Amino acid sequence: MSTWIAIGGVALATFAMRASFIVFVDPHRFPAWFREALQFVPPAVLAAIVAPDLLMPGGRLDVSPTNLRLVAGLMAIVASLHVRGTVAAIVAGMASLWALQWAVAALA
Amino acid sequence: MAPALLGIVPFGFVAGVAAVAAGLTPAQGIALSLLSFSGIAQLVATQLIAAHSPVLLTMAACAVVSLRFLMYSASLAPHLAHLDRRWRVLLAYLMTDQSYAASMNRYSRPGDTAFRHWHFLGAALTLYVFWQASVVAGVLAGTQVPASWSLDFAVTLTFIALLVPAVRTRVDLAVAIVAAAIAMAASGLPYRLALVVASVGGIAAGVALEKRVRS
Repeated sequence: MSTWIAIGGVALATFAMRASFIVFVDPHRFPAWFREALQFVPPAVLAAIVAPDLLMPGGRLDVSPTNLRLVAGLMAIVASLHVRGTVAAIVAGMASLWALQWAVAALA
Repeated sequence: MAPALLGIVPFGFVAGVAAVAAGLTPAQGIALSLLSFSGIAQLVATQLIAAHSPVLLTMAACAVVSLRFLMYSASLAPHLAHLDRRWRVLLAYLMTDQSYAASMNRYSRPGDTAFRHWHFLGAALTLYVFWQASVVAGVLAGTQVPASWSLDFAVTLTFIALLVPAVRTRVDLAVAIVAAAIAMAASGLPYRLALVVASVGGIAAGVALEKRVRS
């Protein structure tokens, strides 16, 4: 039962964010600093999600070349700088990770 | 649109697998997806539900990872203000990173504006159908997907694809670095609070730096 309540809560929270300005309030009624802060939301939230995935895959900081997710992630970043869209990043990143995993297994 | 579809299929699949792996029933996993329609919110919710977190904390964490919708909402609002309330509720509910990108691309072009909300609806509905189908496939596959495929990495890659174009200025870059550093330093905090603290810290750093750059 508590799981269903949580699901309902999550639905409400995500809809509130989406509907905020489109449905409920005019963004011009907010102070300028607030609207300015909004522009930093994507780089802040996305970096906070991505960085631990790449740099702490085992729960600990690992910046060595044996951190395959870091190497593959860097390949995906390079691909994203040249080609927009999720496909370039997914293809570059997954291909790199699988190739590295295969190479590590073959060498071991 | 087609590239966006290719990107969301593995992500949706992973979100579906993760829901079942975390102990949600298939019905719960699918309901979560139908109602929240947000990959990262679904993944965060799944983790927190599995950890028996308080409902309010789960909601707060999902709200923080959905803060970018607040920004999209503010930037789309002027273009949708002429529509009636039902249209705005529908388009808000269907708005995602991909449909926002597609519709802003269209809204920034000159030309007839009267029917652009239909374009938005078409893009958003297509994404919705593909997303939900991918999640259902993931829920059905459940824990049978071998971990050695590292499919969860596709989620990280999806966010890399969004992060790179979001960093346009040096201040943006500083914001990303500050948020990344805080997220890792605070990674020991429970309930994914690190994500919340890092997001807020990064945004605050951006506001402070922007003031300095201007003065």
